[in-house]
Amino acid sequence: MRNWKAEVRTRLINVDIPATRLASVVEEVGEHLEDRFRHLVTTGLSEDDADRVVVQELNESDVLSREVTQLSGTSNGEAPVLGAGGRGRWIDAIRQDVRYGFRTLRRTPGFTIVAAVTLSLGIGASSAIFTVANTVMFRPLPFTDSQRLMRLWESNPEKGWPTFSASHPNFLDWRAQNQSFERLAAQSSAGFTLTSQAGAEIVRALTVSADFLPVLGVTTALGRNFQADEDRPGGHTTVAILTHDFWQRKFGGNAAVLGTSVTLDSRPFDIVGVLPPSFQWGNRTDLLVPLAPDPARSRSDHRLLVIGRLAAAKSIDEARAEMNGIASRLAQQFPDSNRGWSVRISTFYDWIVPEQTRKAIVIFMGAVGLVLLIACGNVASLMLARAASREKEISIRAALGASRLRLITQLLAEAMLVALVAGVLGLLIAWGGTRLLTAAGPAVGLPRLDELSIDVTVFGFAAGIAVLSGVLFGLVPALHASRAQVNNSLKETARGTTDSGSQQRLRSALIVAQVALSVSLLIGAGLLVRSFRQLQQVDPGFALDRLATMRLILPRTTFNTEVKQRAFYDRLLPAVGALPGVQSVATSSGVPLSGGNTGTELDIPGRPIARGVPSSADWRLVSPGYFKAMNIPLRGRDFDDRDVGTPETPAAPVTIISESMARRYWPGEDPIGRPVILRSFGQKPHTIIGVAGDVHSFGLDTDVGPMVYGSAQAYPGWNPMSLVVRSADDPLSHVAAIRAAIREIDPTVPIFDMRALDDLLNDSFGSRRFNMYLLGCFAAAAAVLSCVGLFGVLAYLVTQRTRDIGIRLALGAGRRDVISMIVGRGMTLALSGAAIGLVVAAAAARVMKSLLFSVSPWDPLTFASVPLLLCLVALIACYVPAQRASRVDPLVALRAE
Amino acid sequence: MQYIDRILDRELKKGSAELLVLALVEHRARHGYEISQVIEEQSEGAVRFRVASLYPLLYRLEKRGWITGRWVEKTGQRRRRYYRITAQGRKVLARQRSGWERFVAAVNRIAEA
Repeated sequence: MRNWKAEVRTRLINVDIPATRLASVVEEVGEHLEDRFRHLVTTGLSEDDADRVVVQELNESDVLSREVTQLSGTSNGEAPVLGAGGRGRWIDAIRQDVRYGFRTLRRTPGFTIVAAVTLSLGIGASSAIFTVANTVMFRPLPFTDSQRLMRLWESNPEKGWPTFSASHPNFLDWRAQNQSFERLAAQSSAGFTLTSQAGAEIVRALTVSADFLPVLGVTTALGRNFQADEDRPGGHTTVAILTHDFWQRKFGGNAAVLGTSVTLDSRPFDIVGVLPPSFQWGNRTDLLVPLAPDPARSRSDHRLLVIGRLAAAKSIDEARAEMNGIASRLAQQFPDSNRGWSVRISTFYDWIVPEQTRKAIVIFMGAVGLVLLIACGNVASLMLARAASREKEISIRAALGASRLRLITQLLAEAMLVALVAGVLGLLIAWGGTRLLTAAGPAVGLPRLDELSIDVTVFGFAAGIAVLSGVLFGLVPALHASRAQVNNSLKETARGTTDSGSQQRLRSALIVAQVALSVSLLIGAGLLVRSFRQLQQVDPGFALDRLATMRLILPRTTFNTEVKQRAFYDRLLPAVGALPGVQSVATSSGVPLSGGNTGTELDIPGRPIARGVPSSADWRLVSPGYFKAMNIPLRGRDFDDRDVGTPETPAAPVTIISESMARRYWPGEDPIGRPVILRSFGQKPHTIIGVAGDVHSFGLDTDVGPMVYGSAQAYPGWNPMSLVVRSADDPLSHVAAIRAAIREIDPTVPIFDMRALDDLLNDSFGSRRFNMYLLGCFAAAAAVLSCVGLFGVLAYLVTQRTRDIGIRLALGAGRRDVISMIVGRGMTLALSGAAIGLVVAAAAARVMKSLLFSVSPWDPLTFASVPLLLCLVALIACYVPAQRASRVDPLVALRAE
Repeated sequence: MQYIDRILDRELKKGSAELLVLALVEHRARHGYEISQVIEEQSEGAVRFRVASLYPLLYRLEKRGWITGRWVEKTGQRRRRYYRITAQGRKVLARQRSGWERFVAAVNRIAEA
């Protein structure tokens, strides 16, 4: 059959109408002729006759061309598809491009889905991480005028305490003497036993100075804040402000609670206010009670968290200068307690969102950025392949007069449509991701997770990167395709699937870049995995398995003497120890990994501590049997009844120190029998009776510092105490029995915070594990995407070269030759990518440093194994298409054209 | 006289051709080939449009805004340009119909007289 469209086109060759319109006419009339021809053949005419008739009918062509000429200037309707757009009516043109793009994409659903899903992974991951960055780093903190809120610490760098809590009298002096702050407030925490008709329960209280809420800019939803008289020792301090949740939970949100009271530790506290639901401070809080800072307390007793609101005209530097002036005056006035102590101030933002967190988020932003780039690379590669098979179409449109710009916008419109779909999918992925993060909760180790949400900024970001990536993966193929040599293409066979050499080169370059990016991401992830493995291999210093801890509080009002307190524990330990399945039991003022710390300054009689050596240690009170229960090695003797005196005949104070403390102050000597003064326990020297193994108290990734242990029997007043129980089986299965045993001794003593030590350790890995998994996911996604890309390029190459391969096979090449040719081509790309990736990773490794633990950022094992692994995967990606190529049937391949 | 004949014939044909096309796309969209087929079939071959005159006619009607053409793709078929009548086209069609009826009636009255 004659090419009727060509026939029409020749007849309209001199017609001067817009090329789009002309193309439309050519197509429409050409089809008509084709239909007419077929119809005539079906009526019984021979093809030759039918052809003649149709040509005859067409031969009134002057009519056609004359009439069609009058269409010049019509820009009516949708000037589709082929050729150039209406002059000056670019909005129309874009609309057409979009519509056409939509049609084209619908015609090739496979391409569309693969491209959109690939891209949506990149956009989704980026948007999810951006949501985190946006919430944690960019959104203002949930306080009024939060940039003026400051956190203040006492600081003694020489003792190794850069940030330390403040003492009551120091806080009072700061408050009285400073001009820099509108207000200063202090906060501490306390647990109370709440007794009501429902029984006894522990409530968590913040003890706060009266300025606490005003500093934060919080006003009570009901009632009032504490007054000055309620916030001083000897004042009416038994008042309470309830948090919204507690008020709802305990009082059903009844506004009549104001003026009534709650019984805390057997004392009635008047309820004066209720906080708004938006109030947020630390972990769960039930109520606020006055702190009543006491000037009579020791200046060495550091336990207050101090916050302040900067005065309007003051800068943080001015505040620092003034506060340190005050600190040095106090150091002169009270050299015993205050020498060496200064004030450290940071903004709330720096306090709540530490630099470490910000660094991690920035690294993740970078990592997802790379994943997105790789995804863009893949889609660009797909687009290139597609553009190659559409070269014919593009050439015809170019021949019909479409400008290059118009061709580019057409291809870009398609890319944008894909990006748009991917953007929507990506937002869904981001939404799912943030839900997962919120559900993972504190295990993630990120601050402000409860505030996590997708807002307009995130929306804008997702839209922005969707458009950007659309341009990124659309523009290069579009530029490339639009440059296609019209003549060449038209000369080629109608199948029009030949890939030009430069296109292959471009796709190869994309693959090299993708592999390089993947290798650097994988190395990052590999370093984190290695860190994590290192961390898991750290010996915590005690045996975690089958060990549970729980805390208990002795109500102050009933247990108001040391004798009563000691008597309670003297009954408790044997009672719990006798429970079936319990192997050993002890108490401690603080169990490793459960947070919280207590420290003391120390002196060694007759041996001044050298300058530059910190003269401080952490301390814990432990009962006899603690080291056995925890499985901490102990040299010397444990605490026992000898260390408990009576008021009349006090026992000689004794202490057990840790190995690292022994090494620091008695290097090469045996410290047992030596005296040490622990300032927090008075000026009397304690005799060292034992040396215990070092324990990682704050997590396996923190250094082990010197520790001193005091006898919990000798100092029984510490509240709350932790019980540690080692059992023969699941330690938490005994909680009910332990609770019953305690209730039998005293039903008013509540226990809470039951945890298995294993879980505590797991929690302490939280943020590292999260970092590892997150970067691991990104790296895996990157690796999969780039290997899929590699596979795609090779598979396409094989299709392109079917004929070539067929000829080679026909000429006697072996199948192995074909396989090695294709694999060789693929592996050249993969290896070049891996090499570049290694260089990039080595250059970028420094940024990873803060996330690593006892692994060098240039860890040779990681740097060697990761590229090897990726190359192995790449080899598989190469082998499949190569295998296919080797099975090409020479005859079929030769017939293919 | 011959000349007047020719003009009359042409104008007559032209007027009726527009009417025919408008009437055919009044209730459903049709593509060009379909229009020519329907005209040929329903007139039992008495009226036939050649490709060279049909499309210019369609384009002219389209330019005047009486019909609009649109490329439509149906699965399994190649795309075709379908024409449908516009609101303006409907008014013209109504006018032409009554004009045609009046004309035919008048001619009939004269011819039968």
